[in-house]
Amino acid sequence: MQHVFKLGEHEYQVALSRARQGYRLHLGERSIPVNLHREDDGSARLTVNGVSERVHLAVRGDEVFVHLDGASHTLRYVHPLVRLARQRHAAAEDEIRAPMPGSVVALAVQAGQSVTQGQTLLVMESMKMETTIIAPRDGVVEAVQVEKGQTFDRDALLLTLAPEKTA
Amino acid sequence: MRRIASRLNTASAEFRANAEHHRRLAAELKDKQRAARFARPQRDLERLRSQNKLSVRERLDLLLDPGTPFLELSTLAACEAYGGEVPGAACVTGIGIVSGREVLVNAGDASVKGGAWYPLTVKKTVRALDIAIENRLPVVHLCDSAGGFLPLQAELFADKYYAGRIFRNQCLLSKLGIPQVAVVLGHCTAGGAYVPALSDYNVIVRGTGAIFLAGPPLVKAATGEENTVDELGGCDMHTSVSGTADYPASSEEEAIAIARDIVGQFKRPQKTAIEWQPPEDPYYDPAELYGILPRDIKQQFDMHEVIARIVDGSRFHEYQPNYGKTLVCGYAHLWGYKIGILANNGVLFNDSALKGTHFIELCNQNKTPILFLQNITGFMVGREYERRGITKDGAKMIMAVSCSEVPKFTVMCHGSFGAGNYGMSGRAFDSRFLFSWPNHQIAVMGAEQAANTLADVKIRQLQRQGRTLTPAEIAAIREPVLAEFQRKSSAYWSTSEIWDDGVLDPPDTRPALGIALSCALNVPIGDPRYGIFRM
Amino acid sequence: MNLKLSRWPFDTVLVANRGEIALRVLRTVKKLGLKGAVVYHALDRHAPAVRLADRAIEITGATPVAAYLDGAQIIAAVQSCVAGDRTVAIHPGYGFLSENAAFARAVEAAGLIFVGPRPEQIERMGDKVRARGFVHQAGFPVAPSAVEDDDPATFVARARAVGAPLLIKPSAGGGGKGMRIVRDLARLESEIERARSEASRSFGDGRLYVERYVENPRHIEVQVLGDAHGHVLHLYERECSVQRRFQKIVEETPSPALTPELREKICETAAGIARAVGYRNAGTVEFIFGQGGEFYFLEMNTRLQVEHPVTEQITGLDLVAEQLRIAAGEELGYAQADLVTRGHAIELRLYAEDPARGYAPTTGPILRLIPPQGEGVRWDGGVAEGGEVTSAFDPMLAKLIVHADDRAQAIVRARRALAETVLLGCKTNAAFLGRLLRHPAFERGEIHTGFLDAHPEIAAEPPLAEATVHKLLAAAALSTRPLRDVADAVPDLYAALGAWRN
Repeated sequence: MQHVFKLGEHEYQVALSRARQGYRLHLGERSIPVNLHREDDGSARLTVNGVSERVHLAVRGDEVFVHLDGASHTLRYVHPLVRLARQRHAAAEDEIRAPMPGSVVALAVQAGQSVTQGQTLLVMESMKMETTIIAPRDGVVEAVQVEKGQTFDRDALLLTLAPEKTA
Repeated sequence: MRRIASRLNTASAEFRANAEHHRRLAAELKDKQRAARFARPQRDLERLRSQNKLSVRERLDLLLDPGTPFLELSTLAACEAYGGEVPGAACVTGIGIVSGREVLVNAGDASVKGGAWYPLTVKKTVRALDIAIENRLPVVHLCDSAGGFLPLQAELFADKYYAGRIFRNQCLLSKLGIPQVAVVLGHCTAGGAYVPALSDYNVIVRGTGAIFLAGPPLVKAATGEENTVDELGGCDMHTSVSGTADYPASSEEEAIAIARDIVGQFKRPQKTAIEWQPPEDPYYDPAELYGILPRDIKQQFDMHEVIARIVDGSRFHEYQPNYGKTLVCGYAHLWGYKIGILANNGVLFNDSALKGTHFIELCNQNKTPILFLQNITGFMVGREYERRGITKDGAKMIMAVSCSEVPKFTVMCHGSFGAGNYGMSGRAFDSRFLFSWPNHQIAVMGAEQAANTLADVKIRQLQRQGRTLTPAEIAAIREPVLAEFQRKSSAYWSTSEIWDDGVLDPPDTRPALGIALSCALNVPIGDPRYGIFRM
Repeated sequence: MNLKLSRWPFDTVLVANRGEIALRVLRTVKKLGLKGAVVYHALDRHAPAVRLADRAIEITGATPVAAYLDGAQIIAAVQSCVAGDRTVAIHPGYGFLSENAAFARAVEAAGLIFVGPRPEQIERMGDKVRARGFVHQAGFPVAPSAVEDDDPATFVARARAVGAPLLIKPSAGGGGKGMRIVRDLARLESEIERARSEASRSFGDGRLYVERYVENPRHIEVQVLGDAHGHVLHLYERECSVQRRFQKIVEETPSPALTPELREKICETAAGIARAVGYRNAGTVEFIFGQGGEFYFLEMNTRLQVEHPVTEQITGLDLVAEQLRIAAGEELGYAQADLVTRGHAIELRLYAEDPARGYAPTTGPILRLIPPQGEGVRWDGGVAEGGEVTSAFDPMLAKLIVHADDRAQAIVRARRALAETVLLGCKTNAAFLGRLLRHPAFERGEIHTGFLDAHPEIAAEPPLAEATVHKLLAAAALSTRPLRDVADAVPDLYAALGAWRN
């Protein structure tokens, strides 16, 4: 099972295993002896292929920040289940459907617009309650199937996102 | 514990000739294993690809933690059966690491006859699940089987240790609180449907995975009802309607990733605490085992030299070094764990049998697992020895072996003939694991001895009919008997019939035993209790 | 210099600013034995300046920036919270209210002391066109120009008289919008029409002016200091030619472009301009400097500049202390000849931005911050570990200032200090600064305001070496729980066996 790190424009599939001493980084067919020792001052000693050097590290959520050899880098981690589920949901999440019957209170986007995950796409009203429909993923709105004020049934197609290119 | 002082002369012609011989045997083994794992008719591989399925080896790579070992069991099962057309008995079993947990893997190999269950498939699977029960190992089933192989159904369906035993073992595992996860990667039809159904967790792949008691053609034949595979037992039906399956997955990769995550939820076992110290590599190179083993099955060699190439630091505490010297007994450490060792240095005499019995009792008393290193031609025969009670002394040893509470491990290092096999914890005596070396031979007696016995019977028969036989006629009677006996005494016949858990390249013995020992320690060791020792 | 006054006319200095400059001003205030106060918006609650201040007063606004621009609120806050029996001086830092004459006036009207020039000086120099006119009239060089408003009917003819190449600019504009370069006077009229329509669209005001365009100009500015008693000195020049989108990135002094004669000429010009205004406070006179050595007055900043530390490094003066002494009514107390400079200083501005993506601002938490240390290294930062970089404010995080005997050594020192600077959690331009410092043209001092456009390779991120990628992946994998946990769960025996197969 491969974990992914995004570094700049590149994606790397890696795995980690424990060795008799330290660890091994698995990258494709390669297995590289590695270790990381935390120092008291908050820095760390990174050993790769038997060569050690001082690094600084910080982690927040899925982002890993590394200061190495005078430069800072950011890596973004993607858990295998997240990556594989994304592949699965990619198609299903292209279509945004009504969770319940209702009417469109406000449209927040238009076709062609780029959206980020969690961004409000439209606000609907149902049973005197307003519900916000948000983008399930980053993407581009391909089409908006409803107009402001329009009523619709449950599972009605509200918007479509342009299909994502899967890795 | 002092280091064994090897007396081996690695520069000798003898050593070199032995090494060359056994390296060739090891190479042969690797070739056979490679073929059993990968050599498949092109059409079978193409069929898998067209079904959008991964090979069982690719599935294992996805399942197992990268950079961790996998002890494959009975790789060469069925290698001497079914005309060699069912490599590995159409399944892969073994012990490996999934999400950091020690698990037993039971995987169907759909590249062999669509993963159909042959009699030896069932035997291998039952044995694997026995191992899981005996060693409390969680099980991951990778299911992809066309169902039982109908032409041979009489040899796999009805009897006690036939297919039903698989499901019985699954239930027992569950009862013991040992979790199982099944990944449905192909069709699980009829009995096969119970593998996921009886697992605590299961994952099913949309499109290729299906579970049903009878597939669409059988249903149509039985009731006239027409169904698609998906309607009848597909991923979405079972995960959202019937509840027969738990987790839907859209690809094999995702299904296996989910299974890994499920295994990651399993509690890691508390290993039974036995004497332990930090491990140490053997002082002597395990590759020298090749030069220790003689080329001739009848030739003796010193088991101390073998022990020195398996145990930690080559260190050995020998018990009764001057008594019953044809059975070497003593303590050593293996991957840090304290073990007792019984190793044959010749035929078993009264004193060696008594020494062995006593030592087995010691190991049970102080809860030390036992390793048997077999090279045995049997108990000593003859009037003198019978008068001394060789039979009852052998019986004592068999009693001690049978009633042992500590885990036992057996390695067939060379010959294993006659009742000595029993006293040294042969297959029938429930060693947790039993491995053979490629040079190993096993039979009720030696092949030449047996061939001669059988030929003599025949010759005397003919002589009674008044016929005298020329040497050529005698040879013509004797040679086929010898050849047949030799074939069925070989390590490959043995492993084909699953009389062992696999053939090991001798230097692999230490790692294999390490994993075996680790698994065995999932179970607490009971207090010693025996039947009646004939005194 | 005489830093300690026996009696200050104020005992508290409030900084009406934020970030690194608030912290920098407070440091001097405390060093002088005065009380330091600061106003802050809620977003800056945990900022180092707020922590250092003896008194911190929260201010609010429709936006965070609006809070810092709300002079009335700040004055009211000072009066209610700090004043009373205390006398307070307000230091405006740079940006925000620092060049707001109305604010300066309101501060004084409230009985507080404004650390800066007199309001009318701000007014005179604050308006670019008015300042140009004043400087021109005072006999100092300004770029030949023609202002449409002066006489719209003759604008085109006057523009033609300026000569090519020339630059058409909207009177109401800024930020480079609507500017057009004319190299061929035959196209002057059509370009004027285009500029006018763009200016109308962008600013709703189509009025234009033209000025001589200097090809590949350098930006050289001179620090001046004037007290309330009519003494005005210059503190030598700073070269700030390395810019992106009209924003300075690297500043240094002395300028590698100036001969001793030119230096004296440009510095004396600046001092003369300041004297002509009767300037009080620290200020900066900015010039456009042509490749042929010609220079023209550009504008005057009547406040402390972001890049003032390089001047402090080579003169040994504390410009904030000087500002406070001047505000206290002190005489400078030294003459031009007393000012001796030593060595070369370079300032690098560390921005939260991604140069490879068009210098787009970045945001993020400051998870780890280790400023560089050592001889000749100065760090003026306004953020601290645990803080957060938001898009609410200017993206400048800190200034790294190095000082060495000469320019080459200063560059070496800057590279080392930059490499030692650890800032994790928010993408910065640090790597870009590193590439800039290594660029041969920069090393040779061949810089101009179009330098970065001429060398786009500096902004581009080069691919990482394979070994570096391996190290980064190793560090990341070893710091990521799902990877680490699975590896650590493997029993020792299995770990020791590795990928063994039988």
